[in-house]
Amino acid sequence: MGDPDEELLSRVATGDPAAVRALVARKLPRLLSLAGRILGDRQEAQDVAQEAFLRVWKQAPKWRPGAARFDTWLHRVALNLCYDRLRRRREVAYADPPERADEGPGPDRGLMAADTGRRVGAALAALPDRQREAIVLCHYQELGNIEAAAVMGVSVEALESLLGRGRRALRAALADMKEL
Amino acid sequence: MTPDGMTPERFETLAEAYGGDVARWPDAEREAAAQAMAARPAWAQAALARAGDLDAALDAYGPPRAAAGLMDRIVADAPTPRRAWRWTGWLAPAGLGAGLAAACAAGMILGARLSTPAIPETDSVVTAVTADDTGAYPDEEA
Repeated sequence: MGDPDEELLSRVATGDPAAVRALVARKLPRLLSLAGRILGDRQEAQDVAQEAFLRVWKQAPKWRPGAARFDTWLHRVALNLCYDRLRRRREVAYADPPERADEGPGPDRGLMAADTGRRVGAALAALPDRQREAIVLCHYQELGNIEAAAVMGVSVEALESLLGRGRRALRAALADMKEL
Repeated sequence: MTPDGMTPERFETLAEAYGGDVARWPDAEREAAAQAMAARPAWAQAALARAGDLDAALDAYGPPRAAAGLMDRIVADAPTPRRAWRWTGWLAPAGLGAGLAAACAAGMILGARLSTPAIPETDSVVTAVTADDTGAYPDEEA
């Protein structure tokens, strides 16, 4: 199966302004979706998207058709940028630990209970990084299992295990929501 | 064990990992899953519905919206590496035309120079050139 982005990318490589805008329109929502859910921060997600596109502009003239799917490569790039930010967060957290953890639902988070999206976002943020990545790639980004495993650099079996554990943890975290 | 070989445990594992929409399960296992559903429809539907509830909850967590101007900033970062090439492409025919025009002009000048000696350099011609060069006619100076 051909890469649906390849033709557009080749036009981007020639500096075609219409192709540049078309590629941004096609991929920006996916990048925001990925980075937003991995990082849980809108501004950081936008920064990651902008940085990822800088890599795209650099890579486009060197892109070798057939070597890899562009969307997979882009997810890998964006995920690496997210990793960098998560690592920096951990370093800051170790150096200056917060007064209280801001993870998961609890009795003091009653206001969030009314907002399913926020509850899910908090529960997702509380997952171990790799479980969260697996869920974001498969559920939100709708990558196939082979593609998601390739992006994460794990086997399909390992991906499946991460997905199962992540979803079970989410179900437990959201257990007070009656439909779960 | 279902007739196709997919165990109920495997079916539940897939539902737990990939969610309640079988269309999103691994390609290689969808056929067997369909057979498992046909063999035990009530049980399979219950497993899928349970996974689907979590899918629905996940869907409630939407992606962040792009800030105004983000797309323009990203587009502004895009280089135009072939712009010089495109100008070259545009100029190539123009350059060819300019070359031809220059060649024609050179030919005309050369032709004029070659033909000049055939024209007698009368006093009037010399006077006119002198007047043009000085900006004044000899009669006015006199």
